[in-house]
Amino acid sequence: MVVEHASVEVESIPVVDVASSDKLTSPWQVLIFDDPVNLMSFVTLVIRRIFGYSEQKATELMLQVHQKGRAIVWTGDREKAELFVQQLQSHQLLASMQPVE
Amino acid sequence: MELISHNDGSWSLRKVSELEYLMLSRIQESADPAGCNEACSRLYPSPVTATADLDQQDTWSIEADWREYTEPDLRKGFGKAIQTVAADIESAAIERVSGVDFYEINVPKIHAEYWCSALNQARLVSHYRHDLPAEPGEISKAPGSEEWMAMLQSEIYGIIMEFLVTRVLWIK
Repeated sequence: MVVEHASVEVESIPVVDVASSDKLTSPWQVLIFDDPVNLMSFVTLVIRRIFGYSEQKATELMLQVHQKGRAIVWTGDREKAELFVQQLQSHQLLASMQPVE
Repeated sequence: MELISHNDGSWSLRKVSELEYLMLSRIQESADPAGCNEACSRLYPSPVTATADLDQQDTWSIEADWREYTEPDLRKGFGKAIQTVAADIESAAIERVSGVDFYEINVPKIHAEYWCSALNQARLVSHYRHDLPAEPGEISKAPGSEEWMAMLQSEIYGIIMEFLVTRVLWIK
């Protein structure tokens, strides 16, 4: 019996890390962390200015930062989260972002 | 030192003593984080939470973009604030009362944001450079030491910031 080897072209397909890609497109959270220097009134003012929150909501978030060490202040798409982190850092608040777990 | 807010949104520092003026005029060097890695990291932190559930490659990519496109804007903004405030301080008027010099600085409304930024930068950098405690009462160094003076300066800057936040910039 003669076996003929068929020539098979193998097309390389880019490997996409689905889990990683999902993380980048899923909602992101913006967090503010406590630090021993920033004044509480200043943190409240910056939160009100950047997110347009009421004085009461901004104060609650500031107190959460102060007492628990961090607070999630906003959740939404990554591009906007980046903009908020930039605005918070431009006021020297310790802020960062992460995908929603 | 007296802090006065005016109806047009401008504000003044009056009856500023020699020591207070000296501390104010040190703002530029106090806010410079050069040579202090902790202060540099604090002023320019990563945009990604350290514990984020994210692929390391993604984190690196976001941080690289941040360093290239965002950090220069932050540096520029911080520098502009420091320069503006230093110029305001240099323009102080001197008034001699009973043989003692006092300084007066009048600041336009549009500079209030710069003052907040500059004072805060200096407080943050001083805190890391001199390893200052959160509360002045917790300082272990002797009065007159470099750390003690840095703490006093940080407290004075904090008082001016509190005034600016609550009396000049507060949203009603």
